[in-house]
Amino acid sequence: MGKILMKGNEAIGEAGIRAGCLNYFAYPITPQSEVAEYLSHRMPEVGGVFLQGESEVAVGYMIFGAAACGARVFTTSSSPGVSLMSEAISYIAGAQCPAVFVNIMRGGPGLGGILPSQADYFQATKGGGHGDYRLLVMAPASVQEAVEMVMTAFPLAEKYRNPVMILGDGLIGQMMEPVEFPEHLKSEPSNKDDWATNGMDTRKSKKRNLVKSLFLDPVKLNENNLILKEKYERMKREEIRFEPYNTDSDYKILIVSYGTMSRVCKTAVDNLKAEGIDVGMIRPQTLFPFPEDAVFRAASKKSCRMALSIEMSMGQMVEDVERCVHGRCPVKWYGKCGGEVPTPEEIMDVVRSYL
Amino acid sequence: MNILLEGIIIIVGNYGSGKTEISINLAANRKLAGIDVSVADLDLVNPYFRAREARKQLSELGIGVILPPDKYLHADLPILTPAVAGLIRKPSRLTILDVGGDKVGATVLAALADALDGKTYRMLQVINPFRPFTDTLKGCMKMKGEIEKASRMPIIGIIGNANLIDETTADLIYEGYDFVSTVSQESGLPLEFITVPSRLSDEIDMKRFSCPVLKLHRQLVPPWKKAAGL
Repeated sequence: MGKILMKGNEAIGEAGIRAGCLNYFAYPITPQSEVAEYLSHRMPEVGGVFLQGESEVAVGYMIFGAAACGARVFTTSSSPGVSLMSEAISYIAGAQCPAVFVNIMRGGPGLGGILPSQADYFQATKGGGHGDYRLLVMAPASVQEAVEMVMTAFPLAEKYRNPVMILGDGLIGQMMEPVEFPEHLKSEPSNKDDWATNGMDTRKSKKRNLVKSLFLDPVKLNENNLILKEKYERMKREEIRFEPYNTDSDYKILIVSYGTMSRVCKTAVDNLKAEGIDVGMIRPQTLFPFPEDAVFRAASKKSCRMALSIEMSMGQMVEDVERCVHGRCPVKWYGKCGGEVPTPEEIMDVVRSYL
Repeated sequence: MNILLEGIIIIVGNYGSGKTEISINLAANRKLAGIDVSVADLDLVNPYFRAREARKQLSELGIGVILPPDKYLHADLPILTPAVAGLIRKPSRLTILDVGGDKVGATVLAALADALDGKTYRMLQVINPFRPFTDTLKGCMKMKGEIEKASRMPIIGIIGNANLIDETTADLIYEGYDFVSTVSQESGLPLEFITVPSRLSDEIDMKRFSCPVLKLHRQLVPPWKKAAGL
């Protein structure tokens, strides 16, 4: 099949189906609602289920229920909706169930606005819900990459028995780009008989499976947290993804940027190069695990005098950049967070101001 | 072959079929041909990439643009300004109504039934065969039926808008033209015009088409790209 033109939100919905996920529960919220609308047409065509919950709180627990039963399941929402789901996300992580969450971020805090933002970086990478858990977080910078990340998210969620989050912004959800759905990324759901409550008859077993996040015995709770910790350490060893850009040059400034913001920064890097100014860039594709070593090495380059975290938030990722740079060079932040996306010209001016 | 559209033109189609890009470019094309043009942004369902984003370019050309009040420009609220009904009652020589996608977007037209009563208007369906749900004749006709039912108005013509944005090639344009020609023949709806990206207009054999061609200067671009001059 050739390429077709799709809106990010439609492509994310189709990618869920192409990944072999036939269970989708959601609640509409701008700028993500087209996923639900698209899947309300498509799921019945492929024998899948689309169910609109009464709220995002309900949706979070519908996801937990389906995941606990061993079903492949996903949902999509936008910032305030993900806040409402965060309790369930913590329970799902604590109970070690695989599920995929997509957040098409809008400006916050509170109701904020409906335009693009990256202000849920902390929520996605550092918590959101309570307790010692992490999400594997992937951040697409194009509609095609969103497709590939969604399709990859399901086997990763099953590999770690942990929720995976796709963190896009409103523009990724709303913009249109040509896409294709790589057949090789389709994966069969893994065997979940060891732990899922999929029925003793189904798995022909006399052993009861119990899915829970409640551990009243402090020793057992500590053990559960150690299991989770080991999974997150393994993610750091095996799942880091990033894209270096113009890092072979002798740049004085290193930009770290992801998602839509990185597309703008790339144009700025290209335009500055045409003016004879080299700027290096690291684009994290996974935000957790963060490309710590790549950022450290790029900032340690002899020519590099400064790292610049550019994000559509008031300085969230910059904390990870500072942590990873280990004082090798000063770290600055630039960003906007009202829904306006900074232009390439603005980024070029910021870079020039530090030269 | 020039586009000669006049009167009240209502542009409908599925989400992302290119209605707004066509409305803006059609308005500029006809204005530059010397006629008086107004555009009304009736997209009440899509929060991004609406005609309102090209308001500056359109106003600079002297094209009237009817939008919701400034303070609601970025709201996802179904605001239909009374100025639209006013425009329909006193239309420009070409008045373009840029409607939202699918049947949901077209529902707004039913609210304008009183204003449109007794007026002559032409409702045209934009088709991009490289979009989901309108890649078959059946899909296009289903979309047509749903939009007609929601708007309670008939679609009387087709606009071919085959494209993959930046990845559009001459071959895709030819393939898309053949597709919409077939839709036109099978449905009996005339093919009003097709679009061609301005960057491809030199390499495309225009003689291959038996309908007018609108050269598209892309206006609705992501923030890392520049809109083309109209």
